[in-house]
Amino acid sequence: MDITFYFPPLADYVATFPMLVLAVAALLCVVVDIFYNDAKGVAILAGASLLVTLLFEAARLSLPPAKALYGMVYVGGTASLVNMTILFSGFLTVLIAQPYLKRLGRNYGEVYALLLVAVVGMMALGSAANLLTLFAGLETMSVCLYILTALVREKDGAIESALKYFLLGAFSTGFLLYGIALIYGATGTMDLSDFADRLASTNAGVMFWGGTALLLVGFFFKVSAVPFHMWTPDVYQGAPTPISGFMATASKTSAFAAMVLVLGRALPSAQWQTTVAIVALLSMVIGNFVALAQSNVKRMLAYSSIAHAGYVLTGIASATPEGYAGALYYLLVYTVMNVGAFGVLAYLEHDNRQGDTQTVDSLAGTGQRYPLLGVVMAVCLFSLLGFPPLAGFFGKVYVFGPAVKSGLAWLAVAGVLTSAVSAAYYLRVLYVMWMKPSPDDAVAPQFEGVPPLAAVALAGCAAFLLLLTFTPWVMDAAVAFFRDVPAAIVSLP
Amino acid sequence: MLASFIPLFLQILMAAGLAYTLLIAAKKLGPKRPNAVKTMAYESGMDPVGTARDRYSVKFYLVAMIFIVFDVEVVFLYPWAVTFREFLTRSPQLGLFVLGVVGVFLAVLTLGLVYDIKKGGLEF
Amino acid sequence: MDLPLYWVALIGFAIINFFLVSASVLVYYERKVSGWIQNRPGPNRVGPWGFLQPFADVAKLIFKEDISPTASSPFIHSLAPVLMVTIAMTTAALIPFARGFVIVDTEVSALLVLALTSIAVYGVTLAGWSSNSKFSLLGGLRSSAQMISYELAMGLSVLTVVLITGSLRLVDIVEYQNGPGAWGILGWNVFRAPIAALIFIVTAFAETNRAPFDLPEAEQELVGGYHTEYSGMKFGMFFLAEYVNFFVASFVIVTLFFGGYLLPWEDALLSALPGLKDSVLLGVLQVLSLLLKAAFFAFVFIWVRWTLPRFKYQQLMTLGWKMLLPIALANVVLYALFFTFKALLGWGG
Repeated sequence: MDITFYFPPLADYVATFPMLVLAVAALLCVVVDIFYNDAKGVAILAGASLLVTLLFEAARLSLPPAKALYGMVYVGGTASLVNMTILFSGFLTVLIAQPYLKRLGRNYGEVYALLLVAVVGMMALGSAANLLTLFAGLETMSVCLYILTALVREKDGAIESALKYFLLGAFSTGFLLYGIALIYGATGTMDLSDFADRLASTNAGVMFWGGTALLLVGFFFKVSAVPFHMWTPDVYQGAPTPISGFMATASKTSAFAAMVLVLGRALPSAQWQTTVAIVALLSMVIGNFVALAQSNVKRMLAYSSIAHAGYVLTGIASATPEGYAGALYYLLVYTVMNVGAFGVLAYLEHDNRQGDTQTVDSLAGTGQRYPLLGVVMAVCLFSLLGFPPLAGFFGKVYVFGPAVKSGLAWLAVAGVLTSAVSAAYYLRVLYVMWMKPSPDDAVAPQFEGVPPLAAVALAGCAAFLLLLTFTPWVMDAAVAFFRDVPAAIVSLP
Repeated sequence: MLASFIPLFLQILMAAGLAYTLLIAAKKLGPKRPNAVKTMAYESGMDPVGTARDRYSVKFYLVAMIFIVFDVEVVFLYPWAVTFREFLTRSPQLGLFVLGVVGVFLAVLTLGLVYDIKKGGLEF
Repeated sequence: MDLPLYWVALIGFAIINFFLVSASVLVYYERKVSGWIQNRPGPNRVGPWGFLQPFADVAKLIFKEDISPTASSPFIHSLAPVLMVTIAMTTAALIPFARGFVIVDTEVSALLVLALTSIAVYGVTLAGWSSNSKFSLLGGLRSSAQMISYELAMGLSVLTVVLITGSLRLVDIVEYQNGPGAWGILGWNVFRAPIAALIFIVTAFAETNRAPFDLPEAEQELVGGYHTEYSGMKFGMFFLAEYVNFFVASFVIVTLFFGGYLLPWEDALLSALPGLKDSVLLGVLQVLSLLLKAAFFAFVFIWVRWTLPRFKYQQLMTLGWKMLLPIALANVVLYALFFTFKALLGWGG
């Protein structure tokens, strides 16, 4: 028996420091929870660990991309950017969710442990250099999200949405896993950077492309692209609102990042470009038009998130470094504006008796009563709409621009037109919030305002979206960075 | 390698044959006079109420789920246990590292057990 | 063994018959020992000293009517006892009876023992469910919960043995216990890992559903547990499986912890009497040694039955999950640490 073995170099532990820290912090959360039963302490621990890792990743942003842990994950550069987006979403979610869950009487310590573990899974998924890492990350993330969805378990809707999410999610994971198995069978490798060589030397047959198709189905499900989007509205509606925001942003970011890694690095674009473009078109059209018909605000945001998946897919469909860069930039912006929008909705739930079955009409007059929430919502929704001076606009420029350059002008046109459609439902919410007077029979506001930390988080979201507008140099630097780094992703070794 | 399992399959076949023979023998040799009361499910002499295929305590599912976790843990530990002393004889430092790896694995699962006990998952 | 397959089959058949007969003898043995412990004569009418009593019982069971309840699932109702007997008889073939005398000699025999034991859970659960009677269902559920709970601690105590011997092959495990020279029986695993041995014996009681872990058939509360609705030979088969199981469990205890077929001070004995080595006599002596040790543990099984009262259900679960499992786990870690420090400090070469 020959045992060959390598001690992992210390650099590996440094490189994967955020994942390790968060995993340990999640375990610590459990310990604190069972021995001290201190949900507030757990929340502080979770928030602090997320903040530390966020700063750590920010410091690594300028490093060139590299691999760590026996070539299983990417670190530095683009991976850092994706991790930052995920961590940012997680951090904001902790700030917003803690007071919200406390009001609901659901401020369990486990929530934060699950959130941290989900973040670890997302980071593994978003920086996977190997299909095994990808799958492990995906499962870690999904299982935690299934549980978080059913947090308010006495509520029928929560159970229903968690069960739907779980069954469909397990099903789609099956697709993904079969895809990985077929790809492995065809190429004999799970390492993403080996695919190009193997494909060049062997004739990729039905087995390989079948596997790729199944893999794509799994991805499309996770990013809720049409026609695999049916779970999204139900799940976002049933889950606690800040958790919906977390799911809509962080899990999508990681799944999209993994998609960029797999499609951009491992597979020749000629084979998948059309498919992705068609899915992008369907997502934009169906997402935006169905959102028009929604009366529940959370469902409306869910359909809008389907449409946004379409925008991001447009960037990916261009199959150029600029397109991938634009997609990742868009995801960062999208994360901030969606966490903000869901956060505002979470606090407006405390405003009247409707709870989280908020209809658009139930928001009447809330803008006047809670100016902070009203302003944040306005900034976020205008940005989601892609209104020119806000970050969402630049995001759209960076995804539609490369698409035009790659000869997908029709897709970009469709994107712009459907964005115009989206104005109808985003502006309706703002109109009701600010212009419509509260109905006479409205219950007197029962809540004393937004707790300070959550207010800071929400204001931060709005400020971030504005910041990019009024300080062009930040934007230029950001764009230069985004233009620069993903070029390294697509350059095949 | 696989050949060493052939006696096992033979043994399973023979044991199953014995069991089947006993079953058939009892069927052939015993009397057969069933009646409605005799074949009724036993419920302390009363007529059975409802069906037995009913819902039962969720605790049993909980035990089953925790069992799966720890059973898989034990299965993962077997390859380690077989080779651990081999590692140690090759290089004690390597053995220490391997112990550390398994230690992390055990620590996480033990934390799971402690969590379960503290949360009352095993109270009956 | 490099015997032709028909020899293997023949020996396997002989072993099955041996265990069939020994199950009957065990029933007699248990009733006699029970009688002795309770200060009464026990069976004494059929044959000399009542020795033929179990055989008469078997004959009776075969000629009894086989009732399957109207609401039951007939196929599964018959499958359950068949499964139990098959598993019990197959496990018996894994035991090394003497040096070079083992039917199923694989690299992973210790794992196979555990795997087969865990299949027995299916027999009990299916029996409880298929009868469609409330007592049966509850008995089956209790039994499956109990068996899977104790399987963990059992697996971990076997793990300790595997850690010490570095092999999953039962033959290797037995040979490892052969203490050199004057060490003799001190080489047995029971002296190397006493805690693991204790845990294994306790869990063996639970796995075979023997008192004080006989909750699945607690007659005061559950009538007959999972075999409430069984009669005739099907009931007889559960009975048979139970006795074979506890005899096999005795064999496994001896094999893992009490030197298996080894004679006491075998090493010293062989150096004193070199002619004995590789002789048929040694083989016979080894088989006898194994049988004697196993008979002792069979006696312990019966002895415990009349000494300890039955557990309550929540005591049972507490013992399994909060005592045995953590202790067994800590025991494994302790031995791993011990070996590591031994290697690091260079003790004992």
